[in-house]
Amino acid sequence: MKRRSVIVVLVALLCAGMVSTTAFAAVDWKQLRGTEIRFLMNKHPFTTFIEPRVPEFEKLTGIKVILEAFPEDQYRHKRTVELNAGGKIDGYMIMPGQDDLHYWKAGWLQPMDAYIADPKLTEADWDIKDFFASFIKASSVEGKQIGIVINAETSLLSYRKDLFTKLKVKVPQTMKELEETAKFFHGKEIDGKKMVGITLRGKKAAATSQWVGFLYSFGGSWTTAQGNSNFGSPQSIAAFKFYGDLLRNYGPEGGTMLHWAESTSIFMEGKAAMIYDANVFKALYENPKESKVVGKVGYATIPAGPAGRLPHVSNWSLSISKTSTPERQKAAWLFIQWATNKSNCLAALLAGVPAGRASAWNSKEFKSKDDHPDWTANTMKSFEIGQPQWNPPVINVPEIRDITGQVIVDAIEGKDVAASAKKAAELMDKKMER
Amino acid sequence: MKTAFSALSRFVDRRQAFVYPAPAVIALFLIVIIPIGYNLYLSSAKWTIGLGQPRFIGIGNFIDLLSDERVLNGVKVMVYFSGLSLSLEVALGLLIALYLNREFKGSEIVQAIYIFPFAATPVAVALIWRVMLNPEIGVMNYLLKSVGLPGSLWVSSPQTVIPALVLVDVWKWTPMITLIVLAGLKSLPHEPYEAAQIDGANALQIFWYITLPLIRPVLIAALMLRSLDNLKEFDMIYTITQGGPGIASETLYLYSYTVGFSFFKAGYGSALMVVVFLMVLVFNVVMNRMRLSAKNT
Repeated sequence: MKRRSVIVVLVALLCAGMVSTTAFAAVDWKQLRGTEIRFLMNKHPFTTFIEPRVPEFEKLTGIKVILEAFPEDQYRHKRTVELNAGGKIDGYMIMPGQDDLHYWKAGWLQPMDAYIADPKLTEADWDIKDFFASFIKASSVEGKQIGIVINAETSLLSYRKDLFTKLKVKVPQTMKELEETAKFFHGKEIDGKKMVGITLRGKKAAATSQWVGFLYSFGGSWTTAQGNSNFGSPQSIAAFKFYGDLLRNYGPEGGTMLHWAESTSIFMEGKAAMIYDANVFKALYENPKESKVVGKVGYATIPAGPAGRLPHVSNWSLSISKTSTPERQKAAWLFIQWATNKSNCLAALLAGVPAGRASAWNSKEFKSKDDHPDWTANTMKSFEIGQPQWNPPVINVPEIRDITGQVIVDAIEGKDVAASAKKAAELMDKKMER
Repeated sequence: MKTAFSALSRFVDRRQAFVYPAPAVIALFLIVIIPIGYNLYLSSAKWTIGLGQPRFIGIGNFIDLLSDERVLNGVKVMVYFSGLSLSLEVALGLLIALYLNREFKGSEIVQAIYIFPFAATPVAVALIWRVMLNPEIGVMNYLLKSVGLPGSLWVSSPQTVIPALVLVDVWKWTPMITLIVLAGLKSLPHEPYEAAQIDGANALQIFWYITLPLIRPVLIAALMLRSLDNLKEFDMIYTITQGGPGIASETLYLYSYTVGFSFFKAGYGSALMVVVFLMVLVFNVVMNRMRLSAKNT
């Protein structure tokens, strides 16, 4: 009996030893020591989170990492101009939904599939299946993985929980109920303030990224199966019209100039009963320094339209530059893999950067600290049902968004939406580049 | 060594006219002439930054430009905005300069406070105006409503966006016109005024028949200086409206920026820039003629 238990212990120890040696042997993290890699970054909460941790990676691998961060507008210009000039860039942050086709066609995105499949370069524990499928799809072009999500976003309907409870109003579940609820609150005097029913983005191109959830939920789409503009379809027109009418009739004055900053300000001033915008703005609504509605906000997914409940997902990813050398590309992959491993994703989420890994969201550490379980539950639900195509599937995304934005502006101003949408469809067919 | 130095010094002596301005000419060439030349070259090419190389298409961009409704809109917005803001700035600038051009207690303090908008950073000021002009949470409507007036949509309506932007531009730039005109007024001769007073002319007559003709070259020079910036007004409009609502405040200059740096269509954007360049050039040639003829009469 004693001898047997000794053998069991020995075998167990041996197995444990083998497991750990294989785990360490799988990826030699030191294989590229001495390499220097340069990443261009957006000044984004993720960058703030990862920067102080980089020495940990440098110690692990012996790779020197240079992170250069710029404010967003300037960052986009710099990244394009530098890649075009063939500067020494090994990796960069990208919003795939915005730039992936342009960058792919320009030859600036290195596919990562070979690195992910190579057990010498990727830990089994890294596990791509742990990421939400919608984001893995959103960060791929023509079936190739061109980025790994570091900041996962979707949009939510945020509402004044306190007023909804006080006035016994139900959270809208359908688009029709959304309109009725907005109508109910619009013009009501509450705490000496005249309320608006709902606030939304209405500023031309900027509005398209929120409007797109309405487009999908009404059964519309950017393009037809043949690749032509689908804005002339009755479903797409209905989406434009509903969004425009909602903002004109039950929204703040001057709807066509509302960017996210204006729209969230109105909600945080306590002047709007509802807002539909990015889920990450919870950080603004719940910030006592800026907001008058702290603790009074409830969160829900987009109401269901005729085609169902179809929010969009968008994300920032880390990508590898195709213009770099194979050595440095591998080093860049090691960095991206490390930056998106389970412990970093969890730490990022705990620091307020919404990670793309399910395990982080489901972890006990996160759940025990979560003050807004309704936000978490609806964010995760939206990640699951989210549509990865949040921008038009073209190279010239900004130009097509601009054309789309004009229809939204016309809809808010109460012009003939069908005519405007058809005109935009024609222009879009002429201008789309793939 | 010594001979080489004296040879160099003799060389410089003989060609002073070329050598001394050379650094300035080279710098000017690098930062002005080359970019303009490159812009002209790009205006005849089709090129999206990052996708292939510029492809020569002759006057193709300029033909596209004729059927682009945003070009005509851009010209209209430019004429409306610049026409209104420049005439208001010159008129107000002149009136305020006349008012300030006399001795009174604390005149220096008043002048120092008065030039404050002109000294402030354009983008910072524009960001503040953007919030102030918001119809829901801005202070402008709060002020209007607190004295019983109805609020305005300001920059949020296509009908009022240009006048609202003109308001900001006038607030910011009238002091500059005033400063220039004030300097001009101070340098005017006293004799014609004394003669007019002896002849019994009233204040209005003195202004109309003496001050205005004498100050006209200065006024036109101030207008030219201001128009150079005003016709390519960018930071203020971009920060406050980005050309919106829709394209209601999108000047041609803003549109060419959007095409070049948001759509990354460098060729078409350059062609638009050439049109803006020509408009500014023509305006300034006309103004310069006017200034010279004002001086000669």
